[in-house]
Amino acid sequence: MKKSIVIGLMAGFISGFFSTGGGMLLVPTFLYLFRLEDKKARATSAMCILPMVVTSGIFYYKNNYIDWKIGILCAIGGIAGGYLGAKLLKKLDAKYFKIAFICFLIYTSIKFLF
Amino acid sequence: MKEVLIGLIAGIVSGTGMGGGTVLILLLTVLSGIEQHVAQATNLIFFIPTSIVAIITNWKYKLIDKKLALIISIFGTIGAIIGAVISSKTNVENLKKYFGLFLAIIAIWEIYSYFKLYIFKEKRENNNIKDK
Repeated sequence: MKKSIVIGLMAGFISGFFSTGGGMLLVPTFLYLFRLEDKKARATSAMCILPMVVTSGIFYYKNNYIDWKIGILCAIGGIAGGYLGAKLLKKLDAKYFKIAFICFLIYTSIKFLF
Repeated sequence: MKEVLIGLIAGIVSGTGMGGGTVLILLLTVLSGIEQHVAQATNLIFFIPTSIVAIITNWKYKLIDKKLALIISIFGTIGAIIGAVISSKTNVENLKKYFGLFLAIIAIWEIYSYFKLYIFKEKRENNNIKDK
């Protein structure tokens, strides 16, 4: 129970502060600390993130940070992309996605930091 | 049009189960020159429809640990309020720096999990073959 409270607060804070990344904390926590199986960990994480995202959305909306036009355009692309990505994952090895993602993260973190 | 393409790329990354949100924020700020807070807000709108679809499917397949989800959601919501309020009071330059640091931490974690998943596992499998 204590573990869940601390993890919940941390994931929520990250989700509110950056609007992303809560799941990157929740999935490994569910896997290793709560011993959920992979699919269950991912599914439970998505369920937990939704109320956090909706709540932070209200605050971002109040501060006038929401640009609906950009949001809707991105969401249109996103729905198609999500479908493609899930299909691609079945065909290609996740290993190569991970390498590409790591390179991308290193490059952009340097770009943002310096 | 550029935004649809950015959404498409971020969607593909999400679909493969990695951080689609980080990709979306990055592409929006770097390629479209959108302010960090606005990019982060866009990610929230982007996330809601895609995740609802996933949640419904997962619910049907009984993949959600409901009790755990309830507790995490309650405290996560409190955390999200704190995070969102602090974020809106943080100036753009600092927020970008924190985001860069956050990405660096994720990169380190991803490298660790890559080794754990693929390199050590292969070694273990090879050892098992030898044992047999």
